[in-house]
Amino acid sequence: MLMYVMKTLWRHSTRTTLTVLGSAVAMFVFCMVGAVQEGLDRLASGLDADRNLIVFQENRFCPTTSRLPEDYDRIIREVPGVSDVMPIQVWTNNCRASLDIVVFQGANPEQIRTSRPLRLVTGDWDRFASQPDAAIVGTNIAKRRRLAVGDQFSIGELSVRVVGVFESRVPSEENLIYTNLAFLQLARGQDGAGLVTQHEVALAPQADADRVATEIDARLRAQSIATKTRRKGAFQASTLSDLVDLIGFAHWLGYACVGLVLSLVATTTLMSVQDRFKEYAVLQTIGFRPLRTMRLVLLESLLLCLVGGSTGTFSALTMLALGGFAIGAEGATIAFEPTVNLGATGLLVSALLGLLAGIAPALGVSRLSIVSALRQP
Amino acid sequence: MALVELHGVSKSFRKGEEIIRPLENVDLQIEAGEFLCLMGPSGTGKSTLLNLVSGIDRPDSGKILVDGIEITRLSRSQLADWRASNLGYIFQTHNLIPVLTAYENVELPTLLLKLTSAERRQRVELALEAVGLSDRARHYPRQLSGGQEQRVGIARAIVAHPKVVVADEPTGSLDATTSEQVQDLLQRLNRELNITMLMVTHDSDVARIAARQLRLDRGTFVESHGEVPRC
Repeated sequence: MLMYVMKTLWRHSTRTTLTVLGSAVAMFVFCMVGAVQEGLDRLASGLDADRNLIVFQENRFCPTTSRLPEDYDRIIREVPGVSDVMPIQVWTNNCRASLDIVVFQGANPEQIRTSRPLRLVTGDWDRFASQPDAAIVGTNIAKRRRLAVGDQFSIGELSVRVVGVFESRVPSEENLIYTNLAFLQLARGQDGAGLVTQHEVALAPQADADRVATEIDARLRAQSIATKTRRKGAFQASTLSDLVDLIGFAHWLGYACVGLVLSLVATTTLMSVQDRFKEYAVLQTIGFRPLRTMRLVLLESLLLCLVGGSTGTFSALTMLALGGFAIGAEGATIAFEPTVNLGATGLLVSALLGLLAGIAPALGVSRLSIVSALRQP
Repeated sequence: MALVELHGVSKSFRKGEEIIRPLENVDLQIEAGEFLCLMGPSGTGKSTLLNLVSGIDRPDSGKILVDGIEITRLSRSQLADWRASNLGYIFQTHNLIPVLTAYENVELPTLLLKLTSAERRQRVELALEAVGLSDRARHYPRQLSGGQEQRVGIARAIVAHPKVVVADEPTGSLDATTSEQVQDLLQRLNRELNITMLMVTHDSDVARIAARQLRLDRGTFVESHGEVPRC
C-alpha cells in the first residue's frame, strides 16, 4: 500500500512539493536552533567544565580588561587541590556578540599540547613551539577564514603564521587560534609583558572545585589585583549570559517551527483526505478495515513530514559541517556542530509530527459513513 | 437453505423533520447461484437493501444472514473482513482508484486475502481476462472508456471469488451499446462461474438478464415473474 500512498501524494505534486518544502525549511531552522542550544549545553557541561577553573580579574568581563600578573601561577599552584596552572593571554577582535568572532589564546605550547584535547590534522607541534609568530588554528575557524598551513593571517594589529590546523573533542576549541604566550603578550598594541588575561587551573582528581576557587581568590586578595575564580563551565556561561538569554528566546523559534510543520502537514493531509472521502469509502466497501484506512492516512502524513523533515535536517547538518559556524562574545565561543543527536532529533521530531498531523484526518476516515461517502459526487 | 436471508428487516432515515421508511419488515431469500434483480423507481429502497446485504449499512431491526453468518451482529472491522472474502460490489460510477492502474485496482481486494504473490497475480490476470481487458492492465482509469472502467470494476468485484456480488445500477452511467456489453458480461459470469448476483436497476430492459426480478413497492416486495420473463 506504500505505492498507493506515494502515487496519491504524487497526484497532487504541487501541493505535496510545497508542503515538503515548507516542512524542510521549518525543520532546517529547528535544527539550526537546536545546534545553538547543543553548543551552549556542551560549553556549560563539557569535559573540562567542572574540573577546570578560570581565574579572572574581579569585576571584569571582556578579556581586554582583565590583566593579571603572569606570576600569579606560582601562588595558585600552592593551593591544595591544584594540579596545574596555565597562564593564558586572550585576544579577540570583538568583545560583543558576533557570528565571526576570532579569538586568540596565547599560552605555553607544551602546556597547550598536554592539557588540551587537540589533534593536529595538518602541521607539526615542533614548529609551533619554536617559531615565535606561529599559530595553530581550529578546524572551524580554518574553514570559515579559509586558512591552511603556511598562510599568513592578519587581523587588527596581530599577524601570525599558520603552522597547524587542529581538531578537538571540545567543539568550541575548534574556533580558537593558539599562539605562544610571549608573542601575544608582546604583540603591537598589547603592552602586556608579564601580564595575562586569565589563569586556567586544572584540579586534582579528588579536589573540591568550589573550595579551591574560594581559596585561590582568598590568597590573591592580598596581591595587587583581586581575582574572581569560577568553574570553567560557569565562567563561560556567565561570559555568554547575554547570548544565553537570546538562545533561550530562540528556543521559542524552535517550537514555532514544530508548530508550523504540524499545521502545514495537518492542513495538507486534511485537504487530501477530504478530496478522497469517497475513495476511502470504496476501499472500506472492498474490505479494508477502518483501522487500515486510518493507517493509510497516517502513512501519508508521515511520508510528507519525513521527506520534508529529513531534507531540512540533512541540509542543516550539511551546512553546519561545511560552514564551521560559531557565535561568541567576550572571548568565549559557542560552536554549532552537526551531531548525530541533532540529526536523530530532527528525524524523530519529523516522524512524531507526521503521525500527530495525521491523527485527526485518519480518525475521520476510520469513522466515515460508507453509504454517505459513496453518495458524494 | 438460501445463501442470503433477510428476516423482518426495516430501515428508516430522517430527512429534515420527516422520517422516511424505505424498508418495512422485509423478508427475502436468495439461493446460491441465483441472479436476482431488484427493480423500482428512485427512492423505493433498492439501494438501501443492497447496502444492507453488503454490510455497509445496518438495519434498524431484523436480521440478515449470508451463508449462515448473521452479518447484522458483526462489528465494523468484522464486517470489513467479511466483505473482503465474501462480497463483490459493482458501483454505478465505477469508483476505480484513479492513481492505480487497471491491474492494481483489480489487485486491491486480493491484498486483503492470504495469498502468495503468484496466486494473487494469477487471480488478477484471470479476472481481467474474464472481462476481456488483459490488454488494458497497465492503463489508468483516465485512459479507459466508461465501459472499460466498468469492466475493471466488475473484475475487481469477482477477483476475491466472493459468495455474492452486488451491483448498484451497473449500467446506469453507460451508453446503450456499452450497457449491453456489461449486461452480457454479468450474465456470463453468473452462468459460467455460478456467482450469486443481486442487482439493482430501475431499467426493466436491464432487469431482463436476471433470472428473478422483484419490484419494491412501499417497502415490500412484489414478485415480477409475469411481467419480466426469466432469462
